[in-house]
Amino acid sequence: MRWGLDDVTVRLGGRVAIIGVTLPVEPASVTVVVGGDGAGKSTCLRALVGLVGVEEGSVRRPSKSKIGYVPATAGLYADLTVDENVAFSATAYGLSGAELKGRAGRILGLVGLDGVRDRLGGQLSGGMQRKLAVGMALVHSPELLVLDEPTTGVDPVSRAELWRLISRAGAEGTAVVVATTYVNEAARGSAAMLLEEGRVLISGAPEGIVGEVPGTLGRVRGVSQPTAMSWRRGADWRVWAPTGDLPPGVTRVDPDLEDAAVIAALASEMAVSS
Amino acid sequence: MWAMVTKEFRQLRRDRRTLAMMIVLPVLLLVVFGDAASFSVKEIPTIVVGPRAELVAPLLHAPFQVVAVDVDGTESTAKQRLLVGAAVVGVVTRDSGVLVLLDGTQVFSVQTAESALARNARTPGEAGFTAAAVRVQILYNPSLTTSWVMVPGLAGLILVFIGTLITSLGVVRERQSGTLEQLAVMPFRPWDVIIGKIVPYLMVAALDLAVIIVVGMAVFHVPFVGNVATFLLGAALFLLVTLGMGVLISTVSQNQGQAIQLAFMILLPQVLLSGLIFPVASMAAGVRWISYVLPLTYFIRISRGVMLKGTPISALWQPIGLLAVLAVGVLGLAILRFRRDLAPNLRGTAEQGAGLLEGANP
Amino acid sequence: MTGSLARALGVSMRFGSFTAVDSVSLAVDKGEVVGLLGANGAGKTTVIRLLLGLLRPSGGTVRLFEAPPTVGTRRRVGYVPQSLGLYTDLTVAENWHFTSAAFGSPRQGLPAGIESHADELVGALPLGTQRRVAFAVALAHRPELLVLDEPTSGVGPLGRARLWQDIRQAAEAGAGVLVTTHNMEEAEECDRLLIMVDGVVASAGTVAEVIAGRSVVEVRCDDWDAAFVALDAAGFSVQAHGRTLRVAASSQDVTALLAHEGIASRSRSVPANLEEAFVAVVTAGSVS
Repeated sequence: MRWGLDDVTVRLGGRVAIIGVTLPVEPASVTVVVGGDGAGKSTCLRALVGLVGVEEGSVRRPSKSKIGYVPATAGLYADLTVDENVAFSATAYGLSGAELKGRAGRILGLVGLDGVRDRLGGQLSGGMQRKLAVGMALVHSPELLVLDEPTTGVDPVSRAELWRLISRAGAEGTAVVVATTYVNEAARGSAAMLLEEGRVLISGAPEGIVGEVPGTLGRVRGVSQPTAMSWRRGADWRVWAPTGDLPPGVTRVDPDLEDAAVIAALASEMAVSS
Repeated sequence: MWAMVTKEFRQLRRDRRTLAMMIVLPVLLLVVFGDAASFSVKEIPTIVVGPRAELVAPLLHAPFQVVAVDVDGTESTAKQRLLVGAAVVGVVTRDSGVLVLLDGTQVFSVQTAESALARNARTPGEAGFTAAAVRVQILYNPSLTTSWVMVPGLAGLILVFIGTLITSLGVVRERQSGTLEQLAVMPFRPWDVIIGKIVPYLMVAALDLAVIIVVGMAVFHVPFVGNVATFLLGAALFLLVTLGMGVLISTVSQNQGQAIQLAFMILLPQVLLSGLIFPVASMAAGVRWISYVLPLTYFIRISRGVMLKGTPISALWQPIGLLAVLAVGVLGLAILRFRRDLAPNLRGTAEQGAGLLEGANP
Repeated sequence: MTGSLARALGVSMRFGSFTAVDSVSLAVDKGEVVGLLGANGAGKTTVIRLLLGLLRPSGGTVRLFEAPPTVGTRRRVGYVPQSLGLYTDLTVAENWHFTSAAFGSPRQGLPAGIESHADELVGALPLGTQRRVAFAVALAHRPELLVLDEPTSGVGPLGRARLWQDIRQAAEAGAGVLVTTHNMEEAEECDRLLIMVDGVVASAGTVAEVIAGRSVVEVRCDDWDAAFVALDAAGFSVQAHGRTLRVAASSQDVTALLAHEGIASRSRSVPANLEEAFVAVVTAGSVS
């Protein structure tokens, strides 16, 4: 494991935020950490970049000047222009002069903001703000790029463009870690990890995750909830049998990533309550 | 509609800062305007010197409060005591009559003293203490011009305003927008961030101070008779205290609204009880202690002393020393707390929520 | 079409010289869940405000419960904004009673789903539970039409499934639901979709209908990162899914570029997914 968390537990304000989390991060890869609000995604990322200390386990990360980080809350200055924001970030990372200008120009072109260089950060749309923040984190060509929920609440077109940036960074050799609440984004990376209440439910390559899901999954139409272990999916119900066969009338289906996530969460709930 | 009222009450009950403001504020105003806000001074420290000092001293009743009697003292002795602020009235007894020296920087004490002297003059005099033989001289501020006394105080007010309120807003804004987190991850040392944030406000405050003094001197003809270096030393120390308070406020506030509330609660007592408007001397002892814990009180002593009286630094060691101690204490505490936000610490847990978090190192 | 809960026919809204909504028609019927998609500024919020009668249209007609919208008919609508619309410094029970009183409903007990949290401050609950509470509170006055803005934004997979269960239950009880969202997973839960671009409805129908006929080129190769960079640098709209690339372009252009760069690959045409269809609709719509 080049970088990442190894069996890490973090305690915040008296309660355990994440426990026993192992998150390997390799260069030239995109690792996606999926989970709902409060699952511990931000804590994992913060532990990775050194914003919080760990109670148990160990963390490996490159030096500060080789990390790029975008927190969940924007991470840009609303009262500076696009140019000034990138310049600040570049200067902070030690760039100057012609090199700064060159890299800043290239980054702004990459994120598609070179037409609005003089616009104030606060006047950009949500999607453009995120792109600017990612650009600021990439301007110094970091070895490790960590993005906390870059696509939450962003319109689909901007989200696609953000993922283009993310994949490009990964393709060019950067180790990228992305936290998200959208399960389908787990399939974009080469490795995924699903968190719930501070624990890892499943992790690995996306194709593998779907196959490792326990029990059997089926679907059925109907008005009332078929079993306790079922949930709505569009007009149908999904029914999950942890062990044994599906109830009669239920058609078997192969789980997709979303199903896998729900099943993992249900399995974890079952384990806790039993 | 009634539902609206109930809801608002419930929310208010849980908002401790606003509740504090709603209760503390009226109490403070009551104290100030009920007791402290008075322009009449009941006890004026007086020194009596000269050959007939022991004869004259017992004749001085309230509001004069005789703090020293020096038979061997001369006019310059009395002036010296006024210069260092040990007394506000100096009665110099001579064979040819009585010279009463008044410290013009204490405008209200002087006015009270003058009217007391006028009353005394009407009664049949005892040995030498008749109207014809009493000469009154007001030092430092002969015309008792209010602006001369206000400008040095306003200088302090500006420093408090910028140092505390503006600085705290500037730092909280960073926390609110989430950029503080990023600064912590960038290759900045915590020291870089702290100094970098404070320096602009320091420079603007210094500029404002210069402007106020210059305008005061040019437009209101406020004198500046003392040592500029002493003044700058006092101003610098005071500014460090207020900046420290500003940063401290920002470390306990999650958003600008909270910062403003706290800053307001710290600023208002300073405006009312530091001697800026109402003389400290006129406050009852029970209230006066509050002014003794306010840094602005001490800066005003320094600024008025240096600008109007030319008080030497040796006589100002007390306010300067106190400001120095406060500066180290407040700024030190503020920096310690701010550092915790920028780098995880060895021990400690913090509240979850907006801002940065910390845990224990492995 | 009779029986629509909310209906807009050729509705337009102009603010000065700016046309926010241009000849938009849509309807929400009982028991169905309709998804309204579009970039920020596409006009979604304006359409909703028109439907609720908060704005008067510059052209076309709006019907809420078969009549022009009034304050009275608005009472039959339940609205949940993205920011929850709850007071975080009040408990769940206090929020419930406040909203009930505000809508003039008689005082009633909390529904079973959120009763266990009755005395907890809303601000102390996890987001998934907050959203369920917000939804339950909006249902307190038994509205016939529900308007939900990003109902599961930020919620994890299990929480989202449970919340959609509540939404479907409301629809099956006879309510009509209008959902605005940026989330493709959420869009796929809807019976019908409407995609707005620059004030017009650029595409409408079921998920299958919106996707229909659109395809992308799927590229598989060992040197996937080099392929990605090459395609991206050449201006193609390429997305990576693990090691597989999906390109919104013609097969010939893709193979030509990769051949030119000397990258060995296998490409084939596959049906687009909803997000790719959405992006195609939006980019085509803004160009025209």
